[in-house]
Amino acid sequence: MNTRLIDTILGRTCGCDFHSFGFCILIINKIRLFSCSMLLAIWLVSSPALAEPALDDLVLIANAKSGIEHLTKREVVNIYLGRYRRLDIGSSAEPIDLSSKTDAKALFYRLLVDKNLAEINAYWSRLVFSGKTRPPQQADSVDEILDMVGHNRNALGYIDRASVNSQVVIVFEWSDS
Amino acid sequence: MFFTQLKKLAGLFWFIFSLSAFDARAAETSSLNIHGFGTLGLARSSSSDVGFIRNLSQPKGIQDGEWSGRIDTILGVQAHWQITSDLTAVGQVVSRYKYDDTRDPTVDLAFVKWEPDDRFSLRVGRIGSDVMMLADSRLVGYSYLTVRPSVDFFGSLFFSSFDGGDGSFTLPLGGGLIRSKIFAGRLHEKAPDDPSLWDTSGSRLYGAVVDYFSGPWQFRISSSQLRYSSDVDFKALTGILYGISDATGITDARDAADAFVTKDTNSHYYSLGTVYDQGPVHIEAAAIKIYHETATFQDSRSGYLLAGYRINAVTPYIGISRWTTDDENLQTGLPDELVLPSGTLDFKPLNDRFQGIMSTLSADQTTTTLGIRWDVRPKVALKAQWDSVYAYDDSKFPYASASDTDWNGRTDVISLSMDFIF
Repeated sequence: MNTRLIDTILGRTCGCDFHSFGFCILIINKIRLFSCSMLLAIWLVSSPALAEPALDDLVLIANAKSGIEHLTKREVVNIYLGRYRRLDIGSSAEPIDLSSKTDAKALFYRLLVDKNLAEINAYWSRLVFSGKTRPPQQADSVDEILDMVGHNRNALGYIDRASVNSQVVIVFEWSDS
Repeated sequence: MFFTQLKKLAGLFWFIFSLSAFDARAAETSSLNIHGFGTLGLARSSSSDVGFIRNLSQPKGIQDGEWSGRIDTILGVQAHWQITSDLTAVGQVVSRYKYDDTRDPTVDLAFVKWEPDDRFSLRVGRIGSDVMMLADSRLVGYSYLTVRPSVDFFGSLFFSSFDGGDGSFTLPLGGGLIRSKIFAGRLHEKAPDDPSLWDTSGSRLYGAVVDYFSGPWQFRISSSQLRYSSDVDFKALTGILYGISDATGITDARDAADAFVTKDTNSHYYSLGTVYDQGPVHIEAAAIKIYHETATFQDSRSGYLLAGYRINAVTPYIGISRWTTDDENLQTGLPDELVLPSGTLDFKPLNDRFQGIMSTLSADQTTTTLGIRWDVRPKVALKAQWDSVYAYDDSKFPYASASDTDWNGRTDVISLSMDFIF
């Protein structure tokens, strides 16, 4: 259905006189522009989630040589929410997130602060666009997290327990909290 | 004119989205990241007497029941450059409806941040104003529940950033974290002063903020002071008062005119706030008291309470807010009629005009808000909101185009928006 036809139909439906017809067209144009912009933005911004098996035994890992033995849930919350990343051993933690395309990230934040990814994104948008702090680095896969943590003594990441290797140690697990 | 601007904005949206889609993957691994935020908002106000505005930086409001995207539509783009591990540069450009009746993009943030460790940070450049809790992120609709920040609370804040610096220090304390911050600088923005502009650039702003974080709680106390660099243009009124005072010897008229001097006077902001954010529950409340040394603005108190509960991707919310000002009870000191040997001077029109101006400086209203946020995608939220404003007295200060109207104090504002980040 073309634009003119839509306008014509809506104009007739409104029963408009000449002046209010112009007003209707203006309103219709605004609504049409708004609707198109919304659809366009949703299409462009949205990205399909890549299905991955849910991790039912998520653990937080650090570099085996980091000197970190254990973190409390409060410390993990502060680190991952960007409030305070200084560790008791004197270094600064560098948290790593899995990509939003994974189910593990959603599970991690649900377990940590009972928030969904939209809420976490909203939280970070407030901090990022006020220039206060930066969100965790992103990794696309568990292997990438293992590689980043294995090569960085300050890095932290969450993976499933079965993937833990000799280069990393578990510093927090939900059974502790 | 507005519709043309909206079309241009839509084109800008398209360009930015295309850019971000192309650059997104590369940006994740680069030290230079481009991000953005935006709001496509439509709102209508039932009142035909006053223009409903988001805050005092907007010269024209929405009224007459007409749907408009004027007050809430915003687009921002940020470049974030991690120069070294402890040095960051941030630049942010925002297009929004502002004091000069345009959406011309302005540099909202432009600073360098030095963060030698996680306890201390120093920022120098153009920085978001942190005078009230959440004030420095109030352009980012995606970051909060409502379509717009509470007008009763944030409405008087006509500036969004300043040129200067801030330093913050964070320490663990009592199982939580305490973060203290001081800031100082100068404003760079103008404010609408119908029919002209009030240039506030150079006005000195400084203050201190203390936040305490404990589990799902955040508490905040802040104090700041703003010293104005220029006068609001009341020359047409004050010039007459000075002239009459000189001619008649009535010093009260001069005192009344002096009270409108703004330059080199201070406004003092004292604010408290708290946020409780646990699981699906989100509650926030804040209050502020503002003292002004000039009669151009009346001392004010305002506060709001907002509560939301998430059910899957949908979060209904309810809020209530209040904004009141203290009546200055300022008079010209002139009798309605002054009998002189040479005749009678009729000052009643001047006294009426003076009181008319004073009435536009008052706020005394309560707003009830009901709304719903639907996170349709992880980075896109749709919102619908109803605000019911009840003004108890002659509350015209929070509105545009309110000077010559007999507003009955009631308006309902319906708002729809799509907020997104990229």
